[in-house]
Amino acid sequence: MKQIILVLMETYRRQVKSWSFILLVLSPFIFIFVSLGFGYASSRLGDNTSDRVAIVSSNRKIASQFRYDKKKTTLVYQTKKDARKALDKEKIAGYLVLEKRNGQFIAKYVGEEKMDSEQLKEFGQLLQQKQQELNIQTAKITSQQLKSFSKQPILKQKIIAKGASDATIKTISFVFIIFLMYFILIIYTSAIAQDIASEKGTKIMEMIFSSMPAKSYFYGKILGTFAVIATHLLIYTLGGGLCYFIMPKLKISQGIFSEYQDTINKIITNLVSINLLYVLLGVILFTILAALCGALVVRPEDVSKAIQPVMYIVMLGFFGALTLGQDSNNLIVKWASFIPFLSSFFMPIRLIYGNVSIFQLLLSLGLLVLSAFFLARYVGSLYASLILQTDDIGIIKSFKRASKMK
Amino acid sequence: MLKVEGLEKNFGNKKVLKGLSFRANSHEITGLIGKNGAGKTTIFHSILKFINFDGKILFNGEPITKDVYREIGYLPEERSLMPKLTVFQQVRFLASLKGMSVREIRKELLIWMDKLEVKGSPDDKIKSLSKGNQQKIQLICTLIHRPKLIILDEPFSGLDPVNTDLLKEIILDERRRGATIVFSDHDMTNVEELCDKLIMISNGEIVLNGEIQEIRLSFGSTKIFVQTNLSMEQLQSIDHVTSVKKTKYGTYQLDIEDEKYGEEIFNIITGGKYVKTFDQQPPTLNEIFKMEARR
Repeated sequence: MKQIILVLMETYRRQVKSWSFILLVLSPFIFIFVSLGFGYASSRLGDNTSDRVAIVSSNRKIASQFRYDKKKTTLVYQTKKDARKALDKEKIAGYLVLEKRNGQFIAKYVGEEKMDSEQLKEFGQLLQQKQQELNIQTAKITSQQLKSFSKQPILKQKIIAKGASDATIKTISFVFIIFLMYFILIIYTSAIAQDIASEKGTKIMEMIFSSMPAKSYFYGKILGTFAVIATHLLIYTLGGGLCYFIMPKLKISQGIFSEYQDTINKIITNLVSINLLYVLLGVILFTILAALCGALVVRPEDVSKAIQPVMYIVMLGFFGALTLGQDSNNLIVKWASFIPFLSSFFMPIRLIYGNVSIFQLLLSLGLLVLSAFFLARYVGSLYASLILQTDDIGIIKSFKRASKMK
Repeated sequence: MLKVEGLEKNFGNKKVLKGLSFRANSHEITGLIGKNGAGKTTIFHSILKFINFDGKILFNGEPITKDVYREIGYLPEERSLMPKLTVFQQVRFLASLKGMSVREIRKELLIWMDKLEVKGSPDDKIKSLSKGNQQKIQLICTLIHRPKLIILDEPFSGLDPVNTDLLKEIILDERRRGATIVFSDHDMTNVEELCDKLIMISNGEIVLNGEIQEIRLSFGSTKIFVQTNLSMEQLQSIDHVTSVKKTKYGTYQLDIEDEKYGEEIFNIITGGKYVKTFDQQPPTLNEIFKMEARR
């Protein structure tokens, strides 16, 4: 066991320290940070003085009263002429001319484009408020009358959280799971096959096998790769968790989060369930098969050819589940949910749609676990014969010879 | 002691090893020789349990199990290490599989690097070392845990004469320590110089097994080295002489049908007169190897 752990640690250390792993793990975070950076930069650029609106009035007091936002407005231009010049030189986005005539405020906006809707709303409210004050002053009404005038009708709103329908949530959940599977398998099946193929050509394997049984080395290797995948997923889970708690507090994402909070919670519930076990067992099973393929070739450059059968099964599961995923009652979905390799893609669909009995679930899980166990044992028993062959005799012959040598 | 009994191995229908039995003792060096493809590597792979086989292989009375693995040091035929690792990382990985602690490995590595005159430090990357030094590091990986059974598959290949001598010294040291050493080599000079015992394999069978001198003598002293005034033609015409060769030092080498004709040939060549050299010897190991390999 100690030797298996040593191999596990060595495999883990070697892969986790590699630049390809670091870049792979960091790339989504880099993408998010770059996107946020762009967002921040564009919002900073949005503070440009040329986007401001000049408030112009013959009465300075009125002009300053109507400055609804200090950042978005300016009082620098005091006459229409100055403001027009500034507009022509694109120093401002437009200007508001304010006049008070016969107890009424008159405002006119001049600009090359319509006034920004948000600013228009802000300014409109301010204008309304100032006119109200002026009206009260002109009408000379008592405080009691004012109170009566101030009464507002009551309008109650009951907001029903906007979220996705149940069917959409289920679709999103299973699509997410099969994409996750596909993503992990595409990356790691090739990685382990490549790793094993590059070791195969070296005599150091004989030194290792003279220190421990080849099958133990194989188990250590598989577990090491699985630990790398687990680390990868853990980092994404932590990153996702961090986003889950931070994003609702950020101004930029607050809106979307509050709108879809319920949907997100339901999707997370669908993901963090027995489905995750299917993903993990599926990954182990495919990793073992990929390791076998890697051990069948002599040159690392032949790995892509050797790993094709694995890729075909992955694609069959992925595209099959994607196509048939909407209908969990489909006979193919039902059958495929029991077939090891495919069950990791198809059973989550049935689980998400609640279309599977406990017995069927246990049967499918049992088959998956047994397949992983027996495949690992079988490949482990062949491993020395596979790895110690260095003749380039083709994949099938190599497999046959290893079975004979075993 | 390594005991191999009735070792058989088939690859499909092909019988590669045909019931071999031999012993290799502690404090002894046993040479395993044979033509390419004779089955030497298959024997090593069977001892190391890389492959399944029929028969029995015991070390100190026990079958080769996980526990016995710790007592084995194996140097494969070709040299190869993990080039991206440092010397320490490489040795640490292999030595910890043999059960050594990191502290022991660190201490022993320095001792061995000094002993084998490795130029470089434990923190150097394997790929930065010369081929010869990489070979030495691989030897350190084989011997650092002081194994009781040492298997060396052509350990001298690619070494210069200075490093060959250094390695011979190390192998002799290990024998003095009490290890059971089995090694294969195509250079019979090395085998003759180092081995106490010899096993020759041909077509999956043992054709020679015993102490080197005994094996040589068993072929009879059919070789005569002589310095004489007689010509090549005269020597060839002597009865029971099968061939005559002239060495570059002027000595004639005669092969005779049987050692019993030695005295008769001596009398003919000397004719009662003085000759500088007349030496009747058994064939060399190299010649025995060639003879047996051709059969």
